[in-house]
Amino acid sequence: MPEDTFLLQELKAGKPDAFASLFDTYADRLYRLGMSLVGDPFEAEDIVQEAFLKAISHIDRFQARSRLGTWLYRVVYNSSIDRLRGRVDNPLPEESDPDENSLPMPEVLLEWHTPEALVISNEGQDYLDQAIRSLPGSLRSVFVLRDIEELSTAQTAEILGIGESLVKVRLHRARLALREQLAVYFAERLPDKGIVL
Amino acid sequence: MNCEELVTYLSEYIDQNLDDELRADAQEHLASCHNCRVVLDTTQKTISIYRQTGRQSIPTVRRQALRDRLQAAFDQRDCPPK
Repeated sequence: MPEDTFLLQELKAGKPDAFASLFDTYADRLYRLGMSLVGDPFEAEDIVQEAFLKAISHIDRFQARSRLGTWLYRVVYNSSIDRLRGRVDNPLPEESDPDENSLPMPEVLLEWHTPEALVISNEGQDYLDQAIRSLPGSLRSVFVLRDIEELSTAQTAEILGIGESLVKVRLHRARLALREQLAVYFAERLPDKGIVL
Repeated sequence: MNCEELVTYLSEYIDQNLDDELRADAQEHLASCHNCRVVLDTTQKTISIYRQTGRQSIPTVRRQALRDRLQAAFDQRDCPPK
């Protein structure tokens, strides 16, 4: 995440350009985290709006050393979780913390490559979306922050309010689970059907 | 290192967080184990695909409307005393 110290000073001084910069830096990132959790574009947008409004009303209380970006991510994450808990039709499932000792071994051992046309096709995108949405929220949020947004383990841990070792375990499980699903999909669509080992 | 251990350390290997000794063990195993090379390669491809395609933005028109609303809220906030 970019260094926020100068931006924070400008925001406190009420510079209009500073808010535009804050929005442009974080709006889409926050939207992706919200989308990955609540799955609804309008609700995700609403969550992003709430987070920025909260930042605007709290801006004078931020300490110079606070990381504004981390704070915004945390607000979006907590708000998304609250909304999921409140859903009658699809409440947030109870999730136990992953146990490193029960790590599933890879089952699909097919070689595949990623034809660009297939990856960017509607069908390919739908499958990628469906695969990531099939992960438990605890794994999905870590995967989004670490592997899509490319935040560090420490930043991810701070945003999610968990330890770094748990971030690593969850990321590992998310990667293996997604690999398994993509292996099935892409190998089946290769001209030579991959190499069965 | 065996296959199970390699899978356990796979993410740490990909993220280059293993110490030199474990990394060398992993590389030695990978050199002789085709299945583990496939798992490593396809896990890296999985990460790469999502990194390339997973960065969706707020739809343009809605993004601009949201930006305008929030900018107005920022501009109207009470400024701190000088």
